[in-house]
Amino acid sequence: MNILYYPGCTLKTTATSLEESALKATQALGIELVELKDWYCCGAVFSLSSDDLMHQIAPIRTLINVQEEGGDRVVTICDMCYNTLKQANLLMKENPDKLKTINAFLDEQVDYKGKVRVYHLLELLKEFGFNEIKKKVKVKLNGLKVAPYYGCMLLRPREVALDDPENPGILEELMKSLGVEVVENPLKTECCGSYHTVNRKEIVEKKTKQIVSSARERGAEALVLSCPLCHFNLDTRQLEAGRLPIFYFTELMALAFGLEVDFSEHRVDPKHLLEEKGILKKIRVMR
Amino acid sequence: MIEGYPESMWKSIEKVHKTRERRLEEVFKRMEIGESDELLRKFHPDYKEDQKRVVKVGPSKGMKMPHEVADLLEANPLIDPSEIDLSNVDYDVDLLLIGGGGAGTVAALWAYYNGIKPDNMLIVTKLRHGDSNSMMAQGGTQVADRPEDSPALHYLDTIGGGHFTNNPSLVKALVADAPKILKWHEDLGVIYDRDEEGNFDEISGGGTSRFRLHYSKDYTGMEQMRVIRDESRNLDVPVLEFSPAVELIKDTNGQVAGAILSNLETKEYLVVRAKAIVLATGGFGRLHIQNFQTTNHYGATADGLVMAYRTGTRLIDLDSVQYHPTGAAYPLQIAGLLITEKVRGMGAVPVNKDGELFVHPLEPRDVEASAFIRECYERNNGVETLTGRGVWLDSPLIELKHGRGTVGKSFPAMHRMFERFGIDMSKQPILVFPTLHYQNGGIEIDNQARTSIPGLFACGEAAGGIHGKNRLMGNSTLDYNVFGRRAGISAAKTIKNVKLGKLTLDHVTKYRKALAEAGIKTERKAPMILPEYRGKEALEKYMDLGI
Amino acid sequence: MATKPEMAKIYIMGKEHQVPKELTIMGALEYAGYKYIRGAGCRAGFCGACSTIYRKKGEYKLYSDLACQTLVQDGMRLVQLPFVPAVKAKYDLGKLDVSKNTVLEYYPEIARCVTCNTCNKTCPQDLEVMEFIQAALKGDIEKSARLSFDCIQCGLCAVRCPADIKHYHVGQLVRRLYGKYMSKKSKNLEKRLKEMAHGKYDSEIDRLTRASKEELRQIYKSRDIEAAK
Repeated sequence: MNILYYPGCTLKTTATSLEESALKATQALGIELVELKDWYCCGAVFSLSSDDLMHQIAPIRTLINVQEEGGDRVVTICDMCYNTLKQANLLMKENPDKLKTINAFLDEQVDYKGKVRVYHLLELLKEFGFNEIKKKVKVKLNGLKVAPYYGCMLLRPREVALDDPENPGILEELMKSLGVEVVENPLKTECCGSYHTVNRKEIVEKKTKQIVSSARERGAEALVLSCPLCHFNLDTRQLEAGRLPIFYFTELMALAFGLEVDFSEHRVDPKHLLEEKGILKKIRVMR
Repeated sequence: MIEGYPESMWKSIEKVHKTRERRLEEVFKRMEIGESDELLRKFHPDYKEDQKRVVKVGPSKGMKMPHEVADLLEANPLIDPSEIDLSNVDYDVDLLLIGGGGAGTVAALWAYYNGIKPDNMLIVTKLRHGDSNSMMAQGGTQVADRPEDSPALHYLDTIGGGHFTNNPSLVKALVADAPKILKWHEDLGVIYDRDEEGNFDEISGGGTSRFRLHYSKDYTGMEQMRVIRDESRNLDVPVLEFSPAVELIKDTNGQVAGAILSNLETKEYLVVRAKAIVLATGGFGRLHIQNFQTTNHYGATADGLVMAYRTGTRLIDLDSVQYHPTGAAYPLQIAGLLITEKVRGMGAVPVNKDGELFVHPLEPRDVEASAFIRECYERNNGVETLTGRGVWLDSPLIELKHGRGTVGKSFPAMHRMFERFGIDMSKQPILVFPTLHYQNGGIEIDNQARTSIPGLFACGEAAGGIHGKNRLMGNSTLDYNVFGRRAGISAAKTIKNVKLGKLTLDHVTKYRKALAEAGIKTERKAPMILPEYRGKEALEKYMDLGI
Repeated sequence: MATKPEMAKIYIMGKEHQVPKELTIMGALEYAGYKYIRGAGCRAGFCGACSTIYRKKGEYKLYSDLACQTLVQDGMRLVQLPFVPAVKAKYDLGKLDVSKNTVLEYYPEIARCVTCNTCNKTCPQDLEVMEFIQAALKGDIEKSARLSFDCIQCGLCAVRCPADIKHYHVGQLVRRLYGKYMSKKSKNLEKRLKEMAHGKYDSEIDRLTRASKEELRQIYKSRDIEAAK
């Protein structure tokens, strides 16, 4: 199966291991992510202010490219890009007059017809089938106790949520298919503090402490998540001793498929935990 | 108009298209030295004796030069020394750089590397920082870096191209410093065209025996100047724009000690005192010698020659003017603008109105230009335009020899220039004719960029002796880097030991007397600063009411 | 020429002038009596000094181009913009790092790009300006340097950008980063520099500096010339 793929800026610069592990894992499943020939920075925060139509231009331009490259679907891995593209798309679908205005402004482009569907990789994997994923597992990750963490962008606002915003389960299902022992964490949908990390990092430090200690108290040895900003916050702002490593779901998939993962971007090094569980050894033996 | 050309030119254009296939294999023979000497004597504009005269005043009295240059040397100063208050100094610096082009900026950087703080320097320029001939250079910079080449060959090519009249110590400096300059450019982040292994793409130019021209598409000058200027901005080197120097100041010990500037916008004069002055004022294309069009920028008016001469420096080789063989001859709006020699280096050949070859495409510039003039005006094989004649440069040949798309990729500047006027030079030939391009000579310097007057340095196009009677392509961008660097280093060394005496403009007064004594009665003033292009009708009704 | 040239009516900063139709905007201003101090540089399309904004007869849109390379049109209304007060970041190139978001660090405003395409429509060199800014945002230095190469730094893009990006300064940083850190270095040059430091060519060049004109002529005549490709 192949599907057009929108990476977003973060995955190309500061969260390269999320992209790398995602491409490896999806390839192992036979899913080909085809990067759009031309794509634009979605604008993230700016386009979330939907009263200013100008800021919707960047995501719509990308969706036009999806349309013109012959796709009716595009998948993205970065949670914020997912949220931004999906909200922009929804705004256009629900407000044909705004779509008309943007199409008129983009006079050098073909019109956006509003038919593209925006996917997050987790949704694509669910469609692919967690049972199918289980069949591809070569290295059982059992013994690894991991608490899923969702953050905000996958679940809020409700109109773009990819799962139940109060009690989502998609990450849990994926983890179970990999053989990981899931640790329930009631703070799994709590916001990590997001961009406050820039100029109010004490807020992020506080939220990180809450989220991580809640998971640790319940026996988690690590957290697993999807968003590169949550990753940055939870990975770099744990101040206490006994810091938990933070995995991208794609990294755990890659490991489960017996593939090597580059953890050099991680501040809290997961290698000790993985060695302890014998996971890295199993992968080395396979090579 | 069809494809940018009027119907009247199409008969000739068709002939060029027709002969192209056959000409692919033809190579016109290079000229023997005897034949080329004869050609120059008969057709090169430098050999028209009635277009020159001997200058009657100054340290190089008796030297022959074009009327237009002599007119500037035999002219009154712009300022009246009695109206200048030299005690009221506006800028007191270690190093004054007059000219904001390549040479001046390189000199500033190397003075900085050798201990002069940016706060103690000042670049002054009549237009903006970077407005210069340096910015417009297209074809490349000669550096003998390949194993099959050597600096000795580079030396030989340079001195031969200059008709063996170049100053040997200056040519030695030029070719020996060349690799160092290229390394410096690499370190600064200048982008040169390279192959996949990182070796520079190199081509040959007129008169070069090896491929040694390094280039950045056909924007070589612009790429170099942008980076050098960016570096000087990062260092906060102060620049005064629209404030040309109009006279040099000396001190009572005979050393050059500063300059008078004129703020072109407020008309204030400014007094700059400096321990060392680097003259990097560029060329003289806007003098339109013998009414030729020019490739030069708006401000190329030989100001530095005039000011230096008044302080007592000698000039050299001003009887030799370089006419670039291929200036655009059509359309009228771009008449005279440079078509880089690299176009010929990559395979385009000059052909006459019948589409036939008449000269080897890569003779040294003076020989090539003379051949074009002979073809148009003696053999009458040129194409008529509204303002003169021209020969074709068969640019579509480049696409045939190197593949479709080569012209757009290698000559974006040229392609763009013609496209703006409806001509696609990858499909149609372009019309060319010699254009006033380079001041071969200039202010005499030694290999440390020193002039004969203490405190005064000169570099770049304004300086003379490096190229003899004819400069080779790719040696000018090299020249401004090599001697700009030497000027900066020399000036920095000199500054440490300078003690300035009392400022004076006596040399200006003396010069005025010398003019009178030589019987020169004139209303002319110099330096020119900017050429006059205002419409005749508008000027006829001009009346400055002093409001 | 006895025949009067065809004229066009243009408006220079609102003032009406009759000028010969064949002139460029720059030629027309001079014809009308303006002496350029600001607003003219190379007069050949390389320096960006003559940025001009104009409107055509009967249209409402604003166009932008270079005065030295653009023909006048009947009914044209124009003004030149000789200066843009854009901030240029200061940096020590030797201390920079291409692996991170260096460009974003020095020009953070590029993240405000909404891909409105105004810069592309404005550029007189027809560059893909928006694309080189987007490439810089994505950390693709090579693409950004390549797309921005022909930029003459005229400033028109910066003046019209709603996000206040200074594209031409961004391009300059990108290109220097590429040239210094991403271009493969020349082995030939390294070798030649070493050879010259050891004086390999000194005696040969010294001999040439001392040779007479006649000797030089002979050596020059007998040199072999590398064949053109």
